[in-house]
Amino acid sequence: MVDHPPLNKISRRTALALPLGLAALSGTIFSNGFAKADEPVRGGTMVMIVQPEPSTLAHYAVTAGNIPPIATQIYEGLVTYDWDQNPQPNLATSWETAPDGKSITFKLREGVVFHNGKRFTSADVQFSVMEILKKYHPFAPLLLAELTGVDTPDEMTAVLRLANPAPYLMKGLAGRDLPIMCKSVFEGTQILQNASANKPIGTGPFKFGQWDRGQFVRLDRNDKYWKPGLPYLDHIIARFIPDAATRSAALETGEAHFAGYSAVNYADLARMKTNPILDTTMKGYEMTPALSVLELNAKHPPLDKKEVRQAIAYAIDRKVILRDVMYGYGKPATGPLSSLFKTVGFYTDDVRKYDVPDRLDIANKLLDGAGLPRGANGMRFGMHLEVNSFGEQWLRQAEYLKQALAIVGIDLTLRSEDTATWLRRVYTDYDYDINEPFLSQGVDPVYGLNKQYLTSQIRKGVTFVNDSFYANPEFDGILNEAMREQDHDKRAVLYKKAQQILAEDCPLVWLIDVQYVSVFNRKLRDHTTGPLGTQQAFERAWLET
Amino acid sequence: MRLARYMGYRLVTALPVIFGIIVLNFLLIHLAPGDAASVLAGESGAATPEYMDALRHKFGLDQSLGMQFLTYVSNMAHFNLGYSYRNDADVSSLIFERLGPTSLLMLTAFGTAVALGIILGLVAATGRNSWRDNIISLISLVAYATPGFWLGLMMIVIFSIGLGWLPTSGFDTVGAGHEGWAEVWDVARHLVMPAVSLALFYLALYARLMRASVLEQTGMDYVTTARAKGQTERRIMTGHVLRNALLPIVTIAGVQAGNLIGGSIVVETVFGWPGIGTLAFNALQSRDLNLLLAIFFMSACLIVIINLAVDVIYVMLDPRMEI
Repeated sequence: MVDHPPLNKISRRTALALPLGLAALSGTIFSNGFAKADEPVRGGTMVMIVQPEPSTLAHYAVTAGNIPPIATQIYEGLVTYDWDQNPQPNLATSWETAPDGKSITFKLREGVVFHNGKRFTSADVQFSVMEILKKYHPFAPLLLAELTGVDTPDEMTAVLRLANPAPYLMKGLAGRDLPIMCKSVFEGTQILQNASANKPIGTGPFKFGQWDRGQFVRLDRNDKYWKPGLPYLDHIIARFIPDAATRSAALETGEAHFAGYSAVNYADLARMKTNPILDTTMKGYEMTPALSVLELNAKHPPLDKKEVRQAIAYAIDRKVILRDVMYGYGKPATGPLSSLFKTVGFYTDDVRKYDVPDRLDIANKLLDGAGLPRGANGMRFGMHLEVNSFGEQWLRQAEYLKQALAIVGIDLTLRSEDTATWLRRVYTDYDYDINEPFLSQGVDPVYGLNKQYLTSQIRKGVTFVNDSFYANPEFDGILNEAMREQDHDKRAVLYKKAQQILAEDCPLVWLIDVQYVSVFNRKLRDHTTGPLGTQQAFERAWLET
Repeated sequence: MRLARYMGYRLVTALPVIFGIIVLNFLLIHLAPGDAASVLAGESGAATPEYMDALRHKFGLDQSLGMQFLTYVSNMAHFNLGYSYRNDADVSSLIFERLGPTSLLMLTAFGTAVALGIILGLVAATGRNSWRDNIISLISLVAYATPGFWLGLMMIVIFSIGLGWLPTSGFDTVGAGHEGWAEVWDVARHLVMPAVSLALFYLALYARLMRASVLEQTGMDYVTTARAKGQTERRIMTGHVLRNALLPIVTIAGVQAGNLIGGSIVVETVFGWPGIGTLAFNALQSRDLNLLLAIFFMSACLIVIINLAVDVIYVMLDPRMEI
């Protein structure tokens, strides 16, 4: 499993300006366990596999998971994060949150230039945040909700003004979540139609080179990068290979050096581990928590009864899903938050537990008590399960769920549709009983919990929000309080309470705490240097010659 | 002259057909539930209603179906294939990029299949029930029954992973910077396995078809007549039987040539070949209607042209046919 660094108790409100050297040092010390004390070599072309091919590189307006591996080489954020998920200087050299929590002042780095030669200033920060991200980023209504403006008292100072304290904001400032674009590229144009959607221009260690659709994106070394001597590589090639078996073959022959974000089938990993030129790591996903879940439509009886929802949660053996569907990568989910939030102290397993030895007896008793006796065929009632269209593994999970729920007398019918049809049925028409999505949880509980469980997030036609019609005013109050609470320990107490309420009400069934895997060629060194892993720049990566 | 007038006539009468195809495609596609905005928002993980409205407005999905249709037809009339909002690129450039690799793969595979199929069929038929007939028949049966993707994967395992002779996938070695003949050689090495796995199925088909066709023709009266005139067996075969036996091959090949532009999703997927088949498949999955309609439109045009070409080839092969 992932090795979690010890919980860091330093308050993130008063972050210190660390000199660059120290940040670089921490990167070296904590770099992946396979790195030896060897000297990095300049030059070479790294080939990474990205799956599937992105439709666009408009990282500021589309948040599909296949864009950041490419886009974060080009766009940088104000900060990066160390292994303890503390912010470290990047485009900002220091920052200070006002005592009332309603503004954050960033001192910006001198001498940074965009790939088009323009100097980086506070105007770029203001334009990127207010004119692009606040307006067009899909997560902005959640993460930038409190943001009212960006002041630029001088060229190298940017002040984020907030309506209310937003402690989670300091966790979402990396290039993946809050990329900084060049104002002059976008100013006066239609943002969503801007040509840089497919030819991005940023400040990062690599410049956009070429995109041959259906084949690859080539990134070239930024010779004017502000970190002296970096990056080591001359080029990064992101290759797109639609077939899973061929992706594995490309790694096995050494044609590709890196495949992150589980681009390789879990089924192939055992074989790849025996290949002497390859190795795997589960590091670099500490800030990419995700859960596989079942959404239960509370508008469809008997799912409106808490006992029935709990019975479904009891009826499922998560260890079977983990072993047979996820090939052992991940761990059984205990509640609504990923255990990755343990690092920052927000996760608790002190909630109602569904993985108990007598779970089947409890499930049957709950269903009997809910007035749902077994019929002549042993079944109590029938339901439809909407099969997730994003890959074969979800069909396997659905097949297991059908068997598991049949044991307690629930007759599942599986329904497989293509992505557009599936999303429309579940999130617009609400014409579903049980859905099996995969929920990414973002960098702070605000992200994963608010959008999924707040009453205000029942929003017809919007994907991956509260579609199970969970509405609990007490819970809403706790979440809204936690969102603005500046004291970390008080926040943690509030989130513990929130998790306990959710586990008891059981609006969703939480299945697996997902663990991604990266496969890499042993010649490629220092590729995973922080908790954002594949979704941060490969500026320190180098190839043995 | 007569031929030219005939071709002109055929091309003009094809216009209503193509227009009908455009209308039908447009209506069929709009029957599919879900739209590009919901897929894009779905991949993003979350979105606001305002964001989705903005997307729909940008994609032109907030207009009435009739309005969308008029815009589309008027664009087509101006040879404007439209814009793929999902890919943030012109549809024509997206298709044009794929046209080269698709044609290279399909023409190589198709050409090999037709040429080798005809030769093997002829060899098998002339030595009916001999050892070479049996071997060719056995091989074509196996090739006919083997799924292309399995063959592709097995070739990767043997020739790429096992022997290390050929690259696993792609169109050329990215970033190698080959030029001139080095690039040609590089592309050729990448082309071998996809072309073979695609060609083998068709090759088997044409070999069996050719064999049967030749056998049928050798029993005809004109062959007996030619033999009575004292012509050599070689002359009978090349001058009489072959021309007649080719007619069914031309018919079938003409029908199947429609696949040329459609590409082969399976082989393109296995070998990561940047073809039009996967482009069309992805466009369908993401409801990228402009792109999908443009691909349909091009396929329709190509099939009209190929049908015309097949009719012309008929006339050249068989002088009895009139136009």
